[in-house]
Amino acid sequence: MFEFAFSSVREAIYMNGHGVYVWTVFLIVITNITYFFINYKNKINKIKKKLDASS
Amino acid sequence: MIKRFIHQFASPKTYLFQVNKIYRYIFYISLIIYLFSLTWGLLFTPEDFVQGNSYRIIYLHVPASFMSQSLYAIMAITSITYLIWRVKLAAYFIIAIAPIGAMTTFIALISGSIWGIPTWGTWWQWDARITSTLILFIMYLGLISLHNSFSNHEKADKLLSWLVIVGFVNIPIIKKSVDWWSTLHQSASITLTDKPSIDPSMLYPLIGCIIGFFGLIICLVILSSKYQIFKRERKKSWVKEYV
Amino acid sequence: MKIFYLEHLKLRKKTRSWLGPILVFSLIMIAYPLTVEFLQTNLEKGFYSLLWISILLSMMLATEDIFLEDFSDGTLEQTIISNTSFPLLIAKKIFIYWLMIGVPISFLSFLFSLSLTQDFNLSLSIFPLSVVSSYIFLNLFVFGNALSLNKGSVLGAIITMPLALPVLIILGKSVIAIEFGINYVEFLLLLLGILSIIITIVPFIISYVIKAHLE
Repeated sequence: MFEFAFSSVREAIYMNGHGVYVWTVFLIVITNITYFFINYKNKINKIKKKLDASS
Repeated sequence: MIKRFIHQFASPKTYLFQVNKIYRYIFYISLIIYLFSLTWGLLFTPEDFVQGNSYRIIYLHVPASFMSQSLYAIMAITSITYLIWRVKLAAYFIIAIAPIGAMTTFIALISGSIWGIPTWGTWWQWDARITSTLILFIMYLGLISLHNSFSNHEKADKLLSWLVIVGFVNIPIIKKSVDWWSTLHQSASITLTDKPSIDPSMLYPLIGCIIGFFGLIICLVILSSKYQIFKRERKKSWVKEYV
Repeated sequence: MKIFYLEHLKLRKKTRSWLGPILVFSLIMIAYPLTVEFLQTNLEKGFYSLLWISILLSMMLATEDIFLEDFSDGTLEQTIISNTSFPLLIAKKIFIYWLMIGVPISFLSFLFSLSLTQDFNLSLSIFPLSVVSSYIFLNLFVFGNALSLNKGSVLGAIITMPLALPVLIILGKSVIAIEFGINYVEFLLLLLGILSIIITIVPFIISYVIKAHLE
């Protein structure tokens, strides 16, 4: 079940011409999720700082 | 009885304390599951006979489209809870989920249309599934813009929960009606996407991806609800103590 | 009966609110042939989709300020405080709007359809469809405008537009059924069923929404 599907790393990136699509989708998903995580973390930290300053 | 239960355990304070305990475990476990099954799916599964390597987008596309619909269902449940029992936490949840739902729907749309280029030869098809997903995306945007247009948060919460409920009644209708409509000009290539039987070697990583993505989205929802609680209850004394 | 008469008077005084949508509708219908080459086949091709969309748009225009005046002069608050049934009042209001705007527009759509296709039977079966669908659209857009009461009508229209899409799909299907000579009555019955559900539920939801606004 765990056999590497491609003969080399280069082949894995190229994927018989379909690599462009697969890896762009991969990048979009990963960047979206990380952006949301970082964004919310920043927002929470900002509010926490404000509360600290006020108290 | 139910009312007392909800009021006791759904106060923002207890919620925040309980969630902070388990947040880290959920995050790391689901991250590990997601990354593991994603690499499994993208690199270690055999090539598909029909679609070639482009089928690997399934590991990114299916979890997103699954979540986009279930998040709306969760929103509908929370808004019913808010309208019946007036639970404040439910109101925070509705507006916390909306941007995340829009994000997952966006991912589902974009990944689907990119997947369409190699398999169907076109990036957009006015097919039943795609159209209803697009409508769902527009509804999420409408919810966010409705909430942002009111400065009075409580009023905005009430209006938003009514809109969510009416919209949820409409979602199965949209799905069904779009199905009727597209049966007129169905193109054969679309049936490629739903395979009746999927090979176990492809199915297990897919299930792993769905579970991992679900966990990550839950973590995002926790974060954004935390942000909402801080934002709305910043004048309460317990928030200051907590920080 | 008195409320009917009063609402009718209120609407008739605001000429812009009831004549505006009808005029916009007929202007779209007049502008349509100018954009197409004068060949009969081309004209018929996109006519019905345009017809439904312009009915949708004119209903959107018609509900633009349905609650705005009552909201700003305090009539809404008064009716909620007094003993009269608020959902019933809303239902009557919507009915009057439909009678003054929806029915004339449906009649006009019959006329335009007749003038374009010269097919009397086809145009006659368009009439009930547009009557029923305009009532459904009115209800939906009134809901949207109740949500965004004093925030401008664009927001409400954007929010409720997705809810109106299934009706558009059914309308498109029924036109095709009429053109192929299949029995289109079942689509009409489906629309009537949707209408009967909407008429009973939407006024209550609108009344809750407006109460939330006034709290």
